[in-house]
Amino acid sequence: MTVTAERRRSGAATRGAGTGAGAGTRSAPYLTYLLPATALFAVVIAVPLVMNIYTSFTRWTGVGPRQWAGLANYRQLWHDSEFWASMWHSLALVTAMAVIPTVLGLLVAAALFDVIAKRYSERTASFLRACIYLPQVLPIIVAAIVWGWILDPQYGALNVALRDIGLGFLAHDLLGDPHTALLTVMAVLVWFQLGYPVVIFMAALQRTDPALSEAAEIDGATWRQRLWSVVVPQIRPEIYVVLLTCTVASLRAFGWIYALTSGGPGVSTQVPSYYSYQSFFTDLDVGYGSAIATVMTLIIAAVAVVFLWVQRRHAG
Amino acid sequence: MPRKSTGLLIAALLALTAGLAACGSSGGGSGSSGSSSKVLKVWWYEGQGSAYQIAWDQAIADFKKQHPGVTVQFSLKSFNQMQQNASMILNSNNVPDVMEYNKGDATTGLLSKQGLLTDLTPEASKYGWDKLLGPDLQVTAKYDAKGVMGSGNWYGVSDYAEYVMVYYNKAMFAKYGLQVPTTMAQLTADMDTFVKHGVTPFANAGNDYVAMQYLYEMELSQSSQQQVQDYERYTGKVDFHSAAWTNAVKTFQDWVSKGYIAKNSVGLTATQAGNDFETGKNPMMLSGSWWYGTFESGIKNFQWGTFLWPGNTLNAGSGGNLFVVPKNAASKELAYDFINDTLQPDVQKLLADNGAVPVAATTDGVSNPLNVELIKNFQTLANNNGLAYYPDWPTPNFYNTLLAQTQDLMNGASGDSVLSTLQTNYDQYVSSLG
Repeated sequence: MTVTAERRRSGAATRGAGTGAGAGTRSAPYLTYLLPATALFAVVIAVPLVMNIYTSFTRWTGVGPRQWAGLANYRQLWHDSEFWASMWHSLALVTAMAVIPTVLGLLVAAALFDVIAKRYSERTASFLRACIYLPQVLPIIVAAIVWGWILDPQYGALNVALRDIGLGFLAHDLLGDPHTALLTVMAVLVWFQLGYPVVIFMAALQRTDPALSEAAEIDGATWRQRLWSVVVPQIRPEIYVVLLTCTVASLRAFGWIYALTSGGPGVSTQVPSYYSYQSFFTDLDVGYGSAIATVMTLIIAAVAVVFLWVQRRHAG
Repeated sequence: MPRKSTGLLIAALLALTAGLAACGSSGGGSGSSGSSSKVLKVWWYEGQGSAYQIAWDQAIADFKKQHPGVTVQFSLKSFNQMQQNASMILNSNNVPDVMEYNKGDATTGLLSKQGLLTDLTPEASKYGWDKLLGPDLQVTAKYDAKGVMGSGNWYGVSDYAEYVMVYYNKAMFAKYGLQVPTTMAQLTADMDTFVKHGVTPFANAGNDYVAMQYLYEMELSQSSQQQVQDYERYTGKVDFHSAAWTNAVKTFQDWVSKGYIAKNSVGLTATQAGNDFETGKNPMMLSGSWWYGTFESGIKNFQWGTFLWPGNTLNAGSGGNLFVVPKNAASKELAYDFINDTLQPDVQKLLADNGAVPVAATTDGVSNPLNVELIKNFQTLANNNGLAYYPDWPTPNFYNTLLAQTQDLMNGASGDSVLSTLQTNYDQYVSSLG
């Protein structure tokens, strides 16, 4: 095996050098190695995606023949107030899972890296980082169920504790009140998501050039000025990655809604992914569920393209 | 070289596709080859320890005695697993011979419409099921060509019934000197007494089927059997701004504001409501007979009983889940025999003894007074033609719609807008039926 590989490599190199055929010739043998990934991509992503798009143009209960419906599902979507409400809620989740954790994560990472590690010890900073990252390790459903217990209006730890310390007037059915349900879900999501940017940013800070910060400090820059004008430009690629992955994760947020609120009360925490699931499996309106999923796929793809384009422009 | 490797890539992809296709066809083949063997595959999703599981285990034992050469392969499924995958499973060749499935248009009705179930009409008359099940219970066994229940062919058979009632805590009633109410005025007086003593009378769950059943019972108090048929079977126009529905949303909101139902139960599930009743937090709970077994085994600290919703002739309830025979079942004759076994006296007696309502609905030989009460209340309902099915049955998404709308009602939404949403949703589905 090794011998064959060596022979191939040397053969290709010789031919490449001799004919000037270049990269195309050299990369050809490696196409075979793309086979497993291509097959997997086809089976797991491409075929289901095409089927989903096709289904979105049909009326289908999930069994039996599909009825061609043209753009009917998309027209219905356009006039569906629950869908638009779910889209707005998605924006709230983007705030809770991407914007706030990125900003907060940057501050926390900088504080751990600059202040805690220097004044106390690296070990203390690592310990705190691990604590903040812990929610990311928990299975979402488990964490959501535990949060459901904590926030239970009658027996939940939060409300019981508030009543016990004489702050009963603050006790509230946070997930049951449409005015507070989405904010509560957002707060839980910030708790869950924060660890991810902190870990990425702390790793990024390790590779920044300390000389730049020191020079700025000598020139009289404050900590905030150094963070914003010296550190942030250096870790911009990591910020893009965090923003992109967190935004995509927030648009796909399903488990939290499924386990915490089921989209309620009313539709006050409904999000497109859960709405799509409901249409698929409980409403048996698979065509409509597919239309929601297709729209979300397009939005996620567009978000990814925009982020990558901005990132490339800055890198260039 | 490049051409060769590209060719190799294409060939390998083709081989993989062919392999996948072959897997698919061989899967189908192995399923159908099972037809010659003497095996009965039975699936259900009732939990271990439930009355149904105890009774149906007996049906399997009886079946084995009658068919010594047949192997019974039983699989316990989960409700979600069945709900989400039934259509896909039944479309394949690897199907059970007989399986439990939910009654109603959106479940068994849908499968029958798609031709995935066996028409059991000849067997219903051959085995006498059409005599054993009363007309009320036959409604959920029969479906027409559009998959609408109540007429057409038999597509399933249930061996038990279920209905909604009020569970009450006898100790708490005694503590405040209260009587079991027989009229709505008495119930209201009882609830006022509880509220005066800081007790929320009814356990509720806004994030589950419980809240919508309160609303439905309130609606039924001013409804007729004809209106129920119109609502459930589309036999006439349904007006959600009728006096009955308008009264229901008004009463429901009234109950929330007076504290008969806790406002903060809006996010609770049925299990949490059941716990609230079991732990004595709430002295009453409106729910179905499916809680009987749980309460019989779970409540040790106080005596409890049940009564029908005061003043109602109509109450939510129906035949139980169905045993259906998939179209592609390999051993249909054996499946019919098994279904018939579930209707025999020994199995029916086990249902009655364990807190379920057998379709035979006889209290003969039933010793537990709670179980006798359960069956007697059902007899009252059946004799008065009082089964009104369930509020979420008319359209596949009515469960989600009603759930969201009752939550909104609890949070103070206008009754009129809630009824308009229900009307729009209902009308949309009915017009799509053609």
